[in-house]
Amino acid sequence: MEPEEIKKNAEFLIKNLSGKEVTGSANISIRYKKLVDFAKVYGITDPKYVGPEEEGIVACHGFANHFTIKALYKLLLGMKLTQDGKERTFILNPNKLLHAGQLYNWEGCVDVRPGDKLNVKANWGKVWLIEENLILFANFHVEVRNQDGDLVCKPVVTAAVRPGGY
Amino acid sequence: MVKIADLKVDQVIKDEFNGITRDLLRKYAKASGDTNPIHTNDAIAEKAGLKGIIAHGLFSYGFITKLFEDFLEHGKYGTLIETQVEMRGMVRCGDTLITEAKISKIEGNRVYFDVNQITLTNVDIKDKEGNIVKQFEAGERGYISEKDIEKGLVKTKQVDKGILTYRERIASPGSVIIELNE
Repeated sequence: MEPEEIKKNAEFLIKNLSGKEVTGSANISIRYKKLVDFAKVYGITDPKYVGPEEEGIVACHGFANHFTIKALYKLLLGMKLTQDGKERTFILNPNKLLHAGQLYNWEGCVDVRPGDKLNVKANWGKVWLIEENLILFANFHVEVRNQDGDLVCKPVVTAAVRPGGY
Repeated sequence: MVKIADLKVDQVIKDEFNGITRDLLRKYAKASGDTNPIHTNDAIAEKAGLKGIIAHGLFSYGFITKLFEDFLEHGKYGTLIETQVEMRGMVRCGDTLITEAKISKIEGNRVYFDVNQITLTNVDIKDKEGNIVKQFEAGERGYISEKDIEKGLVKTKQVDKGILTYRERIASPGSVIIELNE
């Protein structure tokens, strides 16, 4: 892809994505085994996160990685746009996508528990281009709620896409 | 017990993990749902120009949340409000991942930390004559770049078997906010 085309695509994405809502949402069913398997990767042994199912457990904070990835794959990578009359995805080549930063906010949030059905929605935040290396950056604001509408986490993903990937 | 009155600016909490293996990254991929093969398949990672698999960025992040869950004794003394990192350096199998958090500010019941995740990557051990007596994955696969050397990130130290060459760099700088109960 020529630099002119890369810059044109960047301008299009900056204009059309910044501050916009991502259409659709992702749903995630939380099972006991999923929470325990995740916690065990980190050697977590506290029964609050890996105890017997009948005694009740909650997700460790790191489990936010799980719904962040779901949000990225289902909402960000699957998003369709129309540029010059043609349909395109945000990412043209997933191999050019880098995870540049991550924020999790849990203020006023409730725990994630087995049996929860989470709903993930997202908005685009700032989208910007670094002129010297043509890497496009985008903030992706995510909101995750449980089946009762309670907030469980507010992640912000910073994605970086190398030239040719957008 | 963790109380505001017992904490001071510049106080440090730290964790060191040296168990990053291909098997662990496969388990993480399955548990997290991030099945991008550059994290689990060396051949595909090499085709993507990576010289070998790299850990998921969020895999390392999990050690930050774990450090604070342990510090707060799993919610007994307070809650985790916010965590944030920039992902700058790749983390690979065999690396030692050090997560270090230093208190930058205390306001009311909130404690603010600057966090750094540092990787130590062993390259090789040489004897007095300069012969390699042990080579690590980073040496075999060429993970260390000229830039690393130029930046002064590659260092040596004396160990039992000879002189160890290793790289020390910041993988992810960031910040954390916690709120204590008292």
